[in-house]
Amino acid sequence: MKIKFTLGSLGIIALIIVFVISAAVVAIIDSRVTNKLEGVLWTIPAKVYSRSLDLAEGSKVNKSNLLRELNMLSYSENKNPSKPGEFIYKKNSLKIFLRGYEEQKSGLFEIFFQDGQISKVTNQLGISVDIVKFEPIAIGGMYPSHMEDRILLSWPQVPTILIDTILSVEDQNFFNHNGISFRSISRAFFTNVKAGDIEQGGSTITQQLAKSLFFTPEQTIKRKVMEAIAALLIEFHYSKEEILLAYINDVFLAQSGKRAVHGFGMGAQHFFGTSISNLETDQIALLVGMLKGPSLYNPRRNPNNATNRRNLVLGILAKRRHINSSSLEEYKSRALRVVSPNFRSETKYPAFHDLVRLELRENYEDSELRTQGLKIQTNLDPVLQDSLENNIKKTKAQLIKKYGKRLIELEGAAMAVDISTGEIKAVVGSSNPSKFGFNRSINAIRPIGSLVKPFIYLTALNKYDEYHLTTILDDSKLSVKSGGEIWEPNNFDKKFHGKIPLHVALWQSYNIASARLGMELGYDSVQEIFRKLGIDKSIERYPSLFIGSFEMSPFDAIQSYQTIAADGFYSPLRSIRDIKDLKGDIDLSYPYKIEQRIRPEPVHLLKFAMKQTFISGTARGYPGKTIESWQAGGKTGTSDDQRDSWFVGFAGDLLVLVWLGFDDNRPTPLTGRSGALEVWKNFINDIEPSAVEKNKLPRVKYVWTDKKDGLVSGEKCKNSLLVPFIIGTEPNTIPPVRNKCASRPNRNKSDVMQKLKKVFEEGQG
Amino acid sequence: MNNLKLIILFLALSILFSCASNQNKSYVSSDSISVSEFSSSVELLVSDTNFLEDEILKINAKNPSVQRILVNSDAYLKEGKLIQANSELERALRITKKEGAIYLRLAHLRYIQGLLDESKSFASRALLIKEISSWERLLLNVYLKRPI
Repeated sequence: MKIKFTLGSLGIIALIIVFVISAAVVAIIDSRVTNKLEGVLWTIPAKVYSRSLDLAEGSKVNKSNLLRELNMLSYSENKNPSKPGEFIYKKNSLKIFLRGYEEQKSGLFEIFFQDGQISKVTNQLGISVDIVKFEPIAIGGMYPSHMEDRILLSWPQVPTILIDTILSVEDQNFFNHNGISFRSISRAFFTNVKAGDIEQGGSTITQQLAKSLFFTPEQTIKRKVMEAIAALLIEFHYSKEEILLAYINDVFLAQSGKRAVHGFGMGAQHFFGTSISNLETDQIALLVGMLKGPSLYNPRRNPNNATNRRNLVLGILAKRRHINSSSLEEYKSRALRVVSPNFRSETKYPAFHDLVRLELRENYEDSELRTQGLKIQTNLDPVLQDSLENNIKKTKAQLIKKYGKRLIELEGAAMAVDISTGEIKAVVGSSNPSKFGFNRSINAIRPIGSLVKPFIYLTALNKYDEYHLTTILDDSKLSVKSGGEIWEPNNFDKKFHGKIPLHVALWQSYNIASARLGMELGYDSVQEIFRKLGIDKSIERYPSLFIGSFEMSPFDAIQSYQTIAADGFYSPLRSIRDIKDLKGDIDLSYPYKIEQRIRPEPVHLLKFAMKQTFISGTARGYPGKTIESWQAGGKTGTSDDQRDSWFVGFAGDLLVLVWLGFDDNRPTPLTGRSGALEVWKNFINDIEPSAVEKNKLPRVKYVWTDKKDGLVSGEKCKNSLLVPFIIGTEPNTIPPVRNKCASRPNRNKSDVMQKLKKVFEEGQG
Repeated sequence: MNNLKLIILFLALSILFSCASNQNKSYVSSDSISVSEFSSSVELLVSDTNFLEDEILKINAKNPSVQRILVNSDAYLKEGKLIQANSELERALRITKKEGAIYLRLAHLRYIQGLLDESKSFASRALLIKEISSWERLLLNVYLKRPI
């Protein structure tokens, strides 16, 4: 059967085809419209922030670190701070106009300092407010593939002046058209011809929003038609308020690296470092003016263009009577006041970012991180982080100068944590810390050298009925059969030191005495202390374990030292403080966890010996007063053939660990003292930790003892040292040679009172 | 039950000893208090969590800025917002680690969260603070000795 096509039927078929194609095109555009306005536009990458700094009455403060932080937050110095982001630093006070963050309101505050502490915090009226909170520094984000970044504004958060400015400049007829306005096009044409410049665009706001649905910048008739259809569809689906709000949240304002800054909320943060509600009319005029050409009118790159454009927008606002003529002149005379960008799409601190990602992976899917606008507050202290990064680079340069080009490939890792709470303050995973790549702080598993010794000595001191700091150890020649071979450890100075007190063997880091002690204690006891310190890995049962063949990552090593520095209280290290959702409610928190693993007294004895490392041992050099005020202690570590240089030390509230070595494990010319300790010292000297008080340990008693024989001595005797003992374990033998100068034990208290006191104190941890 | 009695007796003895040895005369009442009166007060602390909580929230920090934060934390605790209460306590700890009032609240918070070992550890940690008062010491001991 043949079908005959008449002209009429062909026309109908053609019409149907056109209709079907048109319907398909409309459906495609419609899906783009709804996808954008209900999907992409509302997906927000998770942002990672440093900790926010509280300045509170009574808290310790380091002025130079505070100034560094203000600089990082893009605060600028002004004799009379009158706008958010300005401050003036006088001798004993800081006057600052805070930008406001969370519950902290923006406003002028004065912070007074006295003796390294904050003595008072007052508001503008001089009324004491006790505490102010600074905004954190944004340090990175978890971006989706389109790399769009925005801060979503809700309708009540949009300032009226922003709406007035947008409508005046972009679309005066917005509330009266249906997406396309021929009146707007013709009016814009005449206005621009009259002004001799482009004051108004011809596209409506809806058309501009439609334009952003098509991600390519081509300007063809076909594209224009599609945009027009999209504009009509947008008007069909959404109310005018919804369209305007979507526009305010969606407009492209700047490119920052790979990240695209969209919307006025993020624009305000990006250019002025504050929220849109804090902006003044001239600043809003600048942002709105940029819509015409985000690159051409970028105030950082083209300040003159931006100023002219801003002034033009201000003129329009005056013409439409949104501002009066005197305000117009005042606003026009103002500088642009943009701040340096303090947000990067790729984090400045890749090693820290790695830790954050590892912690997040346990609780969040990647897609959640890229779309839900989560706000991740970390424990990162930006001043410490910057200093640690700078000082690992600086020390490497110093070492190259000293040892030559063979150290050019020297690598490193370092971490700084809060001793009590386990908060990770700073992490470096490379000698080039801003480089992404192998993160040695978590991935370099290396022999820890003498860093293992405090674990062995703690095993002994924890058996306090058998060992104390003056227990005599043997540092004479040792030969042991191990793995079918004879193992004969050596000291670093290649000498034997005979009989020496336990504490001396530790701070002098004698290998033979330590190996003998470890073997005496046995592998099981040592493994048990390793476990208490958070080391789950099984130990290899070779005696070389006791002098440093054990391998750890810097992260695991500092975790085990955290328990020591915190007097036996283990706290898991954590980089994240909490995670908030878009509404600002806590979605997940990472609380301070604590577990008493070892009694504080044996740890106190160990820390005393580690303090001697600074006074007379391998880290000597600091004045006694400084060591005392920081309650400092530490340990150097050098592995076989000097392949690894380690130092771990506590000072004030901080525990800091440094590792240096080559990735291919070749020998270095460095020991723990000449390498890692140098990084530690440069860092600590730069940030100057605050002083801390000694803990109160009622069951510990200090007794003068001789540095050689460990027996009772006195302040007036030569070679004597005041050494702590757990009460009841102190020596009481006074050798005849020290009869005259030795201190006599105080036996005035009755035995009954001593016993009663012991009963009482036993309940106290 | 015998254990509970022993704990109460121990705590009563502790407070007697603490008061006797304390330099601060304000803790030494002019009226004499019998051991049995002490025992019954301590029994309340050990057996009644709400009573204990009331006593803990009465302990103020010496530092006014820390006290301001503790007020926030206490309000969250009363509303049952334990995560927020904890955040505030950690914020206070970042200002100073020398206030027994913070650790007491942390020990209490962990107790009501059911984290009994952590509660004890916070109490033990606080007992290392130099400036802790005898009353704070007694309350901390309650967490160390509380029956599970």
